[in-house]
Amino acid sequence: MIPKALEPYLMQVQKPGRYTGGELNSVIKNKADVAIRYAFCFPDTYEIGMSHLGMKILYSLVNARPDAWCERVFAPWTDMEAIMRAHGIPLYAHESGDPVREFDLIGFTMQYELSYTNVLNMLDLAGLPVCAADRTALTPIVIAGGACVCNAEPMAPFFDITLPGDGEEVTNELIDLLKEYKAKGATKREFLEAAAQIKGVYVPALYDVSYNADGTVQAITPTGGAPEKVEKRNVADLDTMFAPTEFVVPFLEVVHDRTTVEIFRGCIRGCRFCQAGFLNRPLREKSPQTVEAQCRAICESTGYDEISLCSLSTSDYHGLEALLTHMLPWTVEEKINVSLPSLRIDNFPQELMEQLNAVRRSGLTFAPEAGTQRLRDVINKNITEEAVLSTAAQAFAGGWTAVKLYFMIGLPTETEADIRGIADLAQAVVDAYYHQENKPKGKSVSVSVSLASLVPKPFTPFQWEPQDRPEVLIEKQNFLISCVKTRKVSVSRHVPWTSFLEGVFARGDRRLADVIETAWRKGCHFDSWEECLDREKWMESFAECGIDPYFYTARRRSFDEVLPWDHMDYGVTKRFLIRENEKAHRAETTPSCREHCAGCGANRLNGGVCNEIRPAVV
Amino acid sequence: MRSVRLWYKKSGLAIYTSHLDMNRCFTRAVRRARIPLWYTEGFNPHPYMTFLLPLPLGQTGLREPIDLRIEGEITDEEIRARMNAALPEGLEIVDVTEPAQKANEIAAADYTITLTFDAPGEAEGFAAGAAAVMESGELNAEKRSKRGVKTVNLCTLVHRFSCAAADCTVQIAATIAAGSTVNLNAELLVQALLAAFAAQARVDITRTALLCADLTAFR
Repeated sequence: MIPKALEPYLMQVQKPGRYTGGELNSVIKNKADVAIRYAFCFPDTYEIGMSHLGMKILYSLVNARPDAWCERVFAPWTDMEAIMRAHGIPLYAHESGDPVREFDLIGFTMQYELSYTNVLNMLDLAGLPVCAADRTALTPIVIAGGACVCNAEPMAPFFDITLPGDGEEVTNELIDLLKEYKAKGATKREFLEAAAQIKGVYVPALYDVSYNADGTVQAITPTGGAPEKVEKRNVADLDTMFAPTEFVVPFLEVVHDRTTVEIFRGCIRGCRFCQAGFLNRPLREKSPQTVEAQCRAICESTGYDEISLCSLSTSDYHGLEALLTHMLPWTVEEKINVSLPSLRIDNFPQELMEQLNAVRRSGLTFAPEAGTQRLRDVINKNITEEAVLSTAAQAFAGGWTAVKLYFMIGLPTETEADIRGIADLAQAVVDAYYHQENKPKGKSVSVSVSLASLVPKPFTPFQWEPQDRPEVLIEKQNFLISCVKTRKVSVSRHVPWTSFLEGVFARGDRRLADVIETAWRKGCHFDSWEECLDREKWMESFAECGIDPYFYTARRRSFDEVLPWDHMDYGVTKRFLIRENEKAHRAETTPSCREHCAGCGANRLNGGVCNEIRPAVV
Repeated sequence: MRSVRLWYKKSGLAIYTSHLDMNRCFTRAVRRARIPLWYTEGFNPHPYMTFLLPLPLGQTGLREPIDLRIEGEITDEEIRARMNAALPEGLEIVDVTEPAQKANEIAAADYTITLTFDAPGEAEGFAAGAAAVMESGELNAEKRSKRGVKTVNLCTLVHRFSCAAADCTVQIAATIAAGSTVNLNAELLVQALLAAFAAQARVDITRTALLCADLTAFR
């Protein structure tokens, strides 16, 4: 419920539906009946936040407790922020309309680095000091989770706690602890020291960081009894893990507006650029029965007519055929469309593909990621050109005329030949269309090449690699465009400045916190929005703080350098990542976990068990 | 297959849901309510659902029609009960009928409009002035249509108009042209009147009924 004071201004902003609340399945409780109020904040607009599965899971999980109430909070767009600041209306929670600063826990989900300034802006809009040290009372405790907290260092001074790994179990443990410490009137310091004893809880204030003369990290030293290494939380069994049966159904059109159910966590592939593939190990699957029951429940409670089965590589799911065979009869009957994002082309049966398209046909997307086989071997993307072309030919025969191809530039060892290879592969797909025997008359083919740039991320084999400077990336983009000789191939590219900033913060250390605060005070926010990203202000902020951003991106790190995230433990060992890095430079591939265990070390988190080593779940 | 006309009320915070979003919202509600819908045939089957006259963003509607095609046995009362269990707050089905008239027979609509001013004096002054302007038969304003912007005398699109001041508010009751051929957004009329007196007020607009050309209720 929007605060009464804000309602008169709703017609003055874009998309007032972003701010009203009152959506179907939103949870309203009596605040007098709960011990802990949790404000789950997504540091971006309503449409993006409402598309995020993690928020839906934790929202339902906390609200399943009678003693706690979780509400949603989003970053107001600039027009609404101006009105809120002009009239002194603080950041509010969507369900109650109450000010966020009155909550016990304020949780941010950190999915991308370019949302960092929004966190500061939201804390400020809530009327709270942005620095954890200036928030002296026990509550609110500001916490964060999500992929970015594998290296929370650039945000370390702002968060009280971060939660690396799966949030399902640790959220409840943290709420229990806060409830206990709040009841006994403990201090914030007492609470934080106790929280640091919970597995998967990182309290940045309890770690001292020292630096070498050359600017690299010298040591990270725990204090106050905090553990030397913070091991990420890992939920062992996805069938018994909490999963929502209801989603809040937005009025407004949001980015992903459908039933989304995870089928497994982790990935067997080991693409060397992919952070998610390493952060979420070991692989854990949900049984087809559980997946189907969850899909059905959510469709019934929401009225959604689309299901998305979510994972890092859908066709690697052992139970996929069993699941689809059970599910398709009722989804087709109920006119529900099932989509499989992240579907690999090399191992998906043709008949299933046809059934899937019975309701609504979706687009065809391949992600070869690199233009030549050599470079695909470097990044361990084990897809061959023949596989791309033969699948494209099959798809064309089935009536498709549009194909999307995803590529990355700025990959280690990349040469001109590799970039030219992207244009060649796109051309080969066009040719495959014209070579088919029964080509439909009068129809043309369109191949869209989408070009991203590599951002080397922590906990990947590329964490030591230099990142191309923006000027170099622009040159490479232009070179690729000059190699494309047909109008049937279109190339879309990103502004490399976003990748640059992302790269700085992805592998940054605590000294960057000043830069983030400076940039935010200069007015930087919504940096992931091209119209908002202000490169000048960011470069000024680096200069004012005396920090060279290229120290974090353009430099090759040595294997023995202490990395700012070395005190985080995501299961995969440094030894394994070094081995993978060396293999990359020799253009040697590593087979998938299903073919051969690569010894990444993550099974240690699961008591030595890896889904791929135990018998298949079907 | 039969057609049914659902009459809904849109109020509270639901008024900030745009026409396109309403479409999505009702599509999901009929699914949750398990109304046996008739689906179009073709590559992309979808239920047949038509909002007869879009209600502008930010306005309350007391009796707004949607046509649905259904297949299978279900009573009107059952449709109403199931839909109301499935709709979010602020949306309610108030009646279910057989469609008696076609959408293009909608020619006008009744509105009640509340203007809230900062001071009672402003309200009285505005009420007297607005009544006089409407009496004069001339109130020109720029009106946007698909063919571009042109200046229109709004009085020609207003069938009935009365207003009264009480404290800081002015209550307007008006019957205004509506429908697919000639349509006037009540918001435009109110803003034109406010502009004529350089006045500012909070505006709350409620569409109370849709009417035919002879100003009887559209059914």
